[in-house]
Amino acid sequence: MELLNRQPLVATSLLLVPFLTLVAPPWLALVGVPPCWPVLWLLPWALADGRRSAVLLAAVLGMLMDAIHHGPVSWLPGLLLLAWWWGPLSMRRPPIEGPFSLGLLALLGTLLMDGTLMLQWVAWSWRIPFGRGAAGPDPAELAQPGWTWQDLSTSGLHVLLAQTLLTALLAPLICTPLLRLWRRAHPSWRG
Amino acid sequence: MPPTRRRRPTAPRGKLPWPLILAFILLLVGVRLSKGAMLTDAFAALSLPFWPGPAQSEWLRSARTVEDQARLEALTQDNTRLRQMLALQQSRDGQAEGQTVSAPVISRQTGGWWQQLVIGKGAVAGVRAGQPVLAPGGLIGLVASVTPATATVTLLTDPSSRVGVWLSRTKHHGLLTGVGTARPVVRFLDKDPEARPGDLVVTSPASTLVPPNLPVGVIQSVDASADPAPTAVVQLIAPVQAVDWVQVLRP
Repeated sequence: MELLNRQPLVATSLLLVPFLTLVAPPWLALVGVPPCWPVLWLLPWALADGRRSAVLLAAVLGMLMDAIHHGPVSWLPGLLLLAWWWGPLSMRRPPIEGPFSLGLLALLGTLLMDGTLMLQWVAWSWRIPFGRGAAGPDPAELAQPGWTWQDLSTSGLHVLLAQTLLTALLAPLICTPLLRLWRRAHPSWRG
Repeated sequence: MPPTRRRRPTAPRGKLPWPLILAFILLLVGVRLSKGAMLTDAFAALSLPFWPGPAQSEWLRSARTVEDQARLEALTQDNTRLRQMLALQQSRDGQAEGQTVSAPVISRQTGGWWQQLVIGKGAVAGVRAGQPVLAPGGLIGLVASVTPATATVTLLTDPSSRVGVWLSRTKHHGLLTGVGTARPVVRFLDKDPEARPGDLVVTSPASTLVPPNLPVGVIQSVDASADPAPTAVVQLIAPVQAVDWVQVLRP
């Protein structure tokens, strides 16, 4: 929280997250799937500034991400859960900063993040299985939008695995410098 | 001595030119049955130098064109009136050029959980939610939301996308459904849509969301055993992952 108060300019870096999501550089994608930028930003922030600050900025980040994506599904639950989980890790001694640890946390965090998205889609698109009338399916049932369970278990699984792997691979490269930068700015880490 | 009567020489009995007579009769029958085809053909050959010049033919063609245009105009007006009565979208042919908005693609997300474009024209340019978006090749999606300067387009490949389509060959209706991959799926409403790979998929005239008969894609494979009705995987015609400019159709 102190970092948030003292370094408002650093905190505004979270604006880069929706911008990077919109830019979606094709050379930084795995089989067409981009990394989970909110996870890559939230992980070092939570490890540097604690739970309260992380939860607050996770809420802000979640609302920004919801603003640039259509549909009823929200990023907020997943990001808030991650902030709640990762925040207390800032108190660990010795601090978490190794590339393997960061990669593992990003991998599990992306799994959790995408898992909350999938759960929301399952809840939103929950419907009675198509009828088997002789005249064919009911058009009203077919017209209900959203990921179906079948879509999630095929292409959804593909997105989940690709995004998780890519985010975990990028975490040491992105989270390590961010973590060092913010710990250097944090008063308790100035020595 | 009585004078000797000299007999006239006569044709020998049974020596009539029957083949000639038969051929003549057949010729007459042929002329009758063919409605004088040989006669008119011969007349045509003889009168060829006196036929009407190409100018008169051009006049006829021109008159035919005018007649066709008038008929097309009447049919278009009739179609527009009927579609208004049914509250359906207007055909793109009936739209003026000024009713489309060209917009650059400023963000493209074609993989991941959301499949959408952000285009550089918004409410100020007249773009509204629900308007169809075209790229070279055909329909690619619908406007989901607008800001004053931008608009977000839900691609046909997004799982939240549903567009009514039909096969131009068999006229069987279906619902084009995004499944999160680059190729959406047509879920047919009939048990036997008679679909086969290579069939052209266009927007349905019964759709209330998009104008009719906009090209969408080509059927790549058909799953006839799908439950409750057959499905088909569609390859979109428009190159969604490479398109830089799109057109938004305004009603």
